[in-house]
Amino acid sequence: MATVDIRFVGARGKKDNIETVEEIQNLVTPGDIITTDTGFMRGHGTFMENEKLHASVAGVVERVNKLICVKPLKTRYNGEIGDVVIGRIIEVCQRRWKVETHSKLNSVLMLSSVNLPGGELRRRSEEDEKLMRHYLKEGDLISAEVQNIMGDGCLSLHTRSLKYGKLGQGTLLSISPSLIKRRKTHFHNLPCGASIILGNNGYVWISPNVNEETDNTGGYEQNLEPVPNDVRIVVARLRNSILALADHHMIIYDTSIMYAYEASLLFTVKDMLKPEVTSEIIDLIQQRMELEGT
Amino acid sequence: MADVNYSEAEKTFILHGIQDKFPCREDGRGCEDYRHMEIETGVVSNTSGSARLRLANTDILVGVKAELGVPSPEKPDSGCIEFFVDCSANATPEFEGRGGEELATEISTVLSRCYDNSGCLDLKSLCIIPKQQCWILYIDVLLLECGGNLFDAASIGVKAALYNTRIPNVTVNQEDDEMEIELSDDPYDVNRLDISSSPCIVTLSKIGHYHVVDASQKEEACCLARLMMGVTAKGTISALKKEGWGSLNPESIFDMMETGKKIGQVLNTSLLNVLEEEEKSGNKRKTVGFLK
Amino acid sequence: MAGLELLSDQGFRIDGRRSHELRKIQCRLGVFKQADGSAYIEQGNTKVLAAVYGPHEVKGSRAKMLQDKVLVNCQYSMATFSTGERKRRPRGDRKSTEMTMHLKQTFDAAIITNLYPRSQIDIYVEVLQSDGGNYCASVNAATLALIDAGIPLKDYVCACSAGFVNDTPIVDISYLEESGGGPELIVTILPKSEQIVFLEQNSRLHEDNLSKVLDVASKGCKDIYAILDRAVRDHVSKVSNVANTTE
Repeated sequence: MATVDIRFVGARGKKDNIETVEEIQNLVTPGDIITTDTGFMRGHGTFMENEKLHASVAGVVERVNKLICVKPLKTRYNGEIGDVVIGRIIEVCQRRWKVETHSKLNSVLMLSSVNLPGGELRRRSEEDEKLMRHYLKEGDLISAEVQNIMGDGCLSLHTRSLKYGKLGQGTLLSISPSLIKRRKTHFHNLPCGASIILGNNGYVWISPNVNEETDNTGGYEQNLEPVPNDVRIVVARLRNSILALADHHMIIYDTSIMYAYEASLLFTVKDMLKPEVTSEIIDLIQQRMELEGT
Repeated sequence: MADVNYSEAEKTFILHGIQDKFPCREDGRGCEDYRHMEIETGVVSNTSGSARLRLANTDILVGVKAELGVPSPEKPDSGCIEFFVDCSANATPEFEGRGGEELATEISTVLSRCYDNSGCLDLKSLCIIPKQQCWILYIDVLLLECGGNLFDAASIGVKAALYNTRIPNVTVNQEDDEMEIELSDDPYDVNRLDISSSPCIVTLSKIGHYHVVDASQKEEACCLARLMMGVTAKGTISALKKEGWGSLNPESIFDMMETGKKIGQVLNTSLLNVLEEEEKSGNKRKTVGFLK
Repeated sequence: MAGLELLSDQGFRIDGRRSHELRKIQCRLGVFKQADGSAYIEQGNTKVLAAVYGPHEVKGSRAKMLQDKVLVNCQYSMATFSTGERKRRPRGDRKSTEMTMHLKQTFDAAIITNLYPRSQIDIYVEVLQSDGGNYCASVNAATLALIDAGIPLKDYVCACSAGFVNDTPIVDISYLEESGGGPELIVTILPKSEQIVFLEQNSRLHEDNLSKVLDVASKGCKDIYAILDRAVRDHVSKVSNVANTTE
């Protein structure tokens, strides 16, 4: 049965938060003077002019000892060494792959930074260069770690661990990097039957459960068998939950995703595409968070 | 339509999802479900009619301008409609300059083909003086954001804008052999267009052995071939176009046509209901436009 | 426009405003999800959408890449139904190219370009409805979109237009007042430092009157800055409040 869900904008019963928006403290906008004290070091989002420290983006001022920086709401991913990122290969070059990671410049994955099939440890030869495309070609998704940041801001990635590598079947979501919370681990096997990778660059990868021992081969063997229906529904539900969280600007980490998943069990996966359903889910999550004090 | 390459594994995942006994697409929809749509008419004030449609990530703004002109010699007693599609660079940097022209021409050709039928829109009502003066409707479609399924969205926007179009009433005064046209200045003395038989485009994408409606960008990248059909509320097909580099079986085409007719009817009736509902709420509603 | 007085004896303009009053401004940040930053602004009946992509890798010819700063790429486009008389082509004509160039120069001065060498920032402006002050609304919308995208700016960039009728400078002129044939002055300033980034004047204006009109336009810019700043603060507060409750 075909369902067409169309409505006109006036019917949107959105309670457009008429609550007077209380301005948060330490909010600055471009051009604002943060301080005239010259003892501070300036971090991201600030610039110095005439001995005064100005903000260059709109956001909250963060002060750590002597370092002042302004964190904007939304920005392209700024890499830091050790971050887990998910990227898509866009070009195969000589001895390296160019990876798109939603940052200021395309990242680079050197041939010497990937594991060879079978886990050999040797110098990369010309043969390996010619076989580059057999391993990773344009369009493939990989999970990697940031190894190094070059002078101009370009990130150098590596997949030197078995948990990184080419990604198999699943769904990729793109959300703002500022919504991903920095945690100790970004690979989660959720109890509902799927596993997610929260890339620091805003890319979230949802896939059917990864079996720790057998499937962590660094992505050389791909499992292209059909995924069972119930797992698929779980993946779709997770996808819609994460998008609902992102739409309402909520921070995304494993607990919030699980809360969203459990709250969404009241509705069918299809219904989660409607805005009133997502608002309800978000309300439930916020209530639960207040209760549990997270 | 960003040219993002997707990995084999992603495409396989989507393919298997649709071939399943209980098809489950990436976001949990079935094969015949549309994503959430929101429509608003009367957003641009210096047009004769306008509408804005939001279908998930796809954002389309349609404006209709009615101008006086000379009818074409082949059809001296009817008015004309002209489509123009513009892919704004807001949607993706690839549309900068003339980047979006190919896509734009495709969409406008399909739209004109759908409306080329005399049963779709009563063009004779647009004629003022046969052979001399008629109304020409310029329908301009502006693509603001691409989230897949542009043809359907454009046609729904066009239909809504035509519903919203108000053409000033014209009185023809005949003095001797001269005919003079007088346009009424009264904003309420207007004619509306009858869009009950206007078509909506339904795009069916063939993925694997099955076909889906309202494909997202990822699904569009996986599909081999697409069938676009203009379907009216009664289920008649006004245009048919096959696109894509894959080939289709004649049986598949017939299957897709049946599905398309069914879906098209549902789409048309829902759209008309929403438009009438919006109109009934009348002056109480404030035009929201892009402000919310 | 016979019989229409641009400024009546009581000091009222055609739309009922006084000579120093701006049109009603409404704006919103974050209109689109796919663009890095987007904004929508309504100044009276002029409606403009702006979208910003970037900073990202330089697309197209690598030759355009600048080694020490970011490449600012703009496009100004008008919808064909935006003007009273239908426009045949949305962009590519001389006026649009000129506006594009002006926008590029303006934002080259305002963005802190040396932070992103070898990258590119795209600013796309689309005019949905045109009722005078297109360039000014475009600049204001683009500023909001850049702030939404988190791109560092030295200051807000605000633009305002002014005219001169019956020895009185009038601020924020609409399309009817523009086509009345009087002089039109467009000024773009960085409000905090009061530095002028762009200045353009059409028609004839006596140099004695120039400073008066310039003052009125600058004051208009500062008023617009106050409105834009308020909108940005509200937006950031609203979004951060939601985020804070989940921390």
